[in-house]
Amino acid sequence: MAVEELQSIIKRCQILEEQDFKEEDFGLFQLAGQRCIDEGHIDQLLEVIQNEKNKVIIKNMGWNLIGPVVRCLLWNNKEDDKRKYFLMLDLLVKLCNPKELLLGLLELIEEPSGKQISQIILLLLQPLQTVIQKLHSNKSYSVGLALSTIWSQLSLLPVPYSKEQIQTDDYGLCQCCKALIEFTKPFVKEATDDKENSLENQRLKDELLKFCFKSLKCPLLTAQFLEQSEEAENDPLRSFASEIIGFLSAIGYPFPKMIFNHGKKKKTWDYLEFEEEEDKQLADSLASLAYLVFVQGISIDQLPMVLSPSYLLQFNMGHIEVFLQRTEESVFSKGLDLLENSLLRMEDNSLLHQYLEIKSFLTVPQGLVKVMTLCPDETLRKKGLAMLQLYINKLDSQGKYTLFRCLLNTSNHSGVEAFIIQNIKNQIDISLKRTHNNKWFTGPQLISLLDLVLFLPEGAETDLLQNSDRIMASLNLLRYLVIKDNENDNQTGLWTELGKIENNFLKPLHTGLNMSKAHYEAEIKNSQENSQEVQKSKDFCSVTVGGEEMPNMPPEMQLKVLHSALFTFDLIESVLARVEELIEIKTKSTSEENTGIK
Amino acid sequence: MAAAVPQRAWTVEQLRSEQLPKKDIIKFLQDHGSDSFLKVSKFLRALKNYKSKVNPISLMNLKINIKIFSLQRFKGTESINKVSEQVKNVKLNEDKPKETKSEETLDEGPPKYTKSILKKGDKTNFPKKGDVVHCWYTGTLQDGTVFDTNIQTSSKKKKNAKPLSFKVGIGKVIRGWDEALLTMSKGEKARLEIEPEWAYGKKGQPDAKIPPNAKLIFEVELVDID
Repeated sequence: MAVEELQSIIKRCQILEEQDFKEEDFGLFQLAGQRCIDEGHIDQLLEVIQNEKNKVIIKNMGWNLIGPVVRCLLWNNKEDDKRKYFLMLDLLVKLCNPKELLLGLLELIEEPSGKQISQIILLLLQPLQTVIQKLHSNKSYSVGLALSTIWSQLSLLPVPYSKEQIQTDDYGLCQCCKALIEFTKPFVKEATDDKENSLENQRLKDELLKFCFKSLKCPLLTAQFLEQSEEAENDPLRSFASEIIGFLSAIGYPFPKMIFNHGKKKKTWDYLEFEEEEDKQLADSLASLAYLVFVQGISIDQLPMVLSPSYLLQFNMGHIEVFLQRTEESVFSKGLDLLENSLLRMEDNSLLHQYLEIKSFLTVPQGLVKVMTLCPDETLRKKGLAMLQLYINKLDSQGKYTLFRCLLNTSNHSGVEAFIIQNIKNQIDISLKRTHNNKWFTGPQLISLLDLVLFLPEGAETDLLQNSDRIMASLNLLRYLVIKDNENDNQTGLWTELGKIENNFLKPLHTGLNMSKAHYEAEIKNSQENSQEVQKSKDFCSVTVGGEEMPNMPPEMQLKVLHSALFTFDLIESVLARVEELIEIKTKSTSEENTGIK
Repeated sequence: MAAAVPQRAWTVEQLRSEQLPKKDIIKFLQDHGSDSFLKVSKFLRALKNYKSKVNPISLMNLKINIKIFSLQRFKGTESINKVSEQVKNVKLNEDKPKETKSEETLDEGPPKYTKSILKKGDKTNFPKKGDVVHCWYTGTLQDGTVFDTNIQTSSKKKKNAKPLSFKVGIGKVIRGWDEALLTMSKGEKARLEIEPEWAYGKKGQPDAKIPPNAKLIFEVELVDID
């Protein structure tokens, strides 16, 4: 039936002129064609399409068949039939009006979800390329539209992150990326071959540029790369990255140019309007690019080898800041890698403090603190810490000083403060050993810094447990200073400030310790007395994790916690006692010397 | 023929306090200071103002100058020829941590590069700091290995090879380049031998196979200045 219907429409249209085709003709043709396919009359349909006399009809109406044909290709398992459908597809691509065909194909690409996305894309990329090449005008627009549609679909796919995942390529992302490069290559060649650089050509370059930037963000921003070795040859995402960067270079945006243009207010691509892109998204792409070049070494040989290491650090700091603002491990870990790569180029103590006036030079260490304290992954936390220490090592003295102040004021974390205080102690140590005293870690500047260290944030009511790391570090620093700096020398200015330190730090610490110990001892006594009775939960607040309420801490555990708190207090107290002992010894001996002289 | 020694206008305490207006001290010095003295103080001011921050340290400098020149080198007591000698020997009393590059330039020893001119330039157009320069270059290690170049050779085809363009004198490139290019005139081609301290130092540049502590040799041709 369907075949007859089709043939009758064909007969009627064969005698008509093209412009006389009516809308209902299109509709009937499509319906009939669809029916033929549904009912399996492949051969007859093929015959109709191949018939020379039907050329004009097919040219105008054929594109409607693309959808049904493609769907059959995806779902049909019979080899024979598949071959025929492929043939049909080829014919339609050859014969039909490219403009409409393009839209038809793109619609098909936009349709699916899940694992079908890659299937359709892999199927249609080649026909799509052929169709676009047939267009005579506005090619750039079509290229842009195609790339944009395909990219939107690919951005829905999860990015594989382990070697196994990359190899199995469940969702086909890697395969698609490879195919997409092949799809794009001829257009890049066209854009670069055109010596005249007409307006149309410029538009083509613009579309390619947009596509490259989008790709840098997705999938390349989150992609994990295999170790650089022989394996690297087979890494599909690395190849993809390599090609994209190659495209950028070919269309006039080689990476070295971007480095030298860094800092210019007006970027060369400002005039482009990225539809979904805002400045921020562009920042992601550029950061991704910097990572790929410096850490993965892709086309790093294109960089002129005359750039100063401090300029490279300055250039990369902005990108590192972008990375560290993200919380996905696959993204911010790239920031850590890029920071390491940049810092290792510099010698210790060579980074001038003036660089800290650049915003990113302060937000990056603060970002590191975030990683160190909040990241669930221990390896990454340790790396964050290592990077912070590396950064500190590279700064000059004034830089170190400024950074210490900044982090002491902003980190709000006892462990981080303890880490900084240890660094301060090291700097004082180095400074005292030099013949020429470092003015930032001795004298009045140091006193100002010590004010931030040797004090209790809430006086005697400071939570000593919460702040125990910091307090221990401060006490150790104080002990060091008392031992190392003789009262006569007073190089660090400690002895003149002793009264203030005693008032702001040592006395409140005594009080705090006494209060805390008494409090906890009372708690322990309470616990022990109540251990026979059932713990009533009315006084306690409850803790819910993942929708489940946690049981109250068993009494033995509670006791353990209380005892360990007491232990911490004892520890603090013993160091405090030692420090005061040393102070007394030193002040007594000096006063004895003084009286001795008299 | 010593001129009359001018009276001390203020006590040391007055000088140390904040109350004395700078203008008065400056006027006093300008009225009574010898040419050499003024030249040195100018030099020291320039030194400190390099960061273009006017701060109490300039005032401190003037006070230090008074201390140093308490040998009563006031007007007419000496010849100006000795100025250069004294300028070299003047040291500030305060500590000098490696803060600004400018201070390093002024009290470091000889420049850590050598330049031999291969082709003379126009000797009139010299780049200033912040100008954009365009140059061709080839970089080799001491053993002759070429580690970088932007000159198109038949073997290594770089599409549309263009001269390297960048703002000179502001630290974008290694110090040897920044310093050397400021001494070159338009059209000049020179051979630079740069010590590691003004190149990539202890770290080297592994991306380019430059080992640590490598002395670098560049042939640079300055084609244009913007």
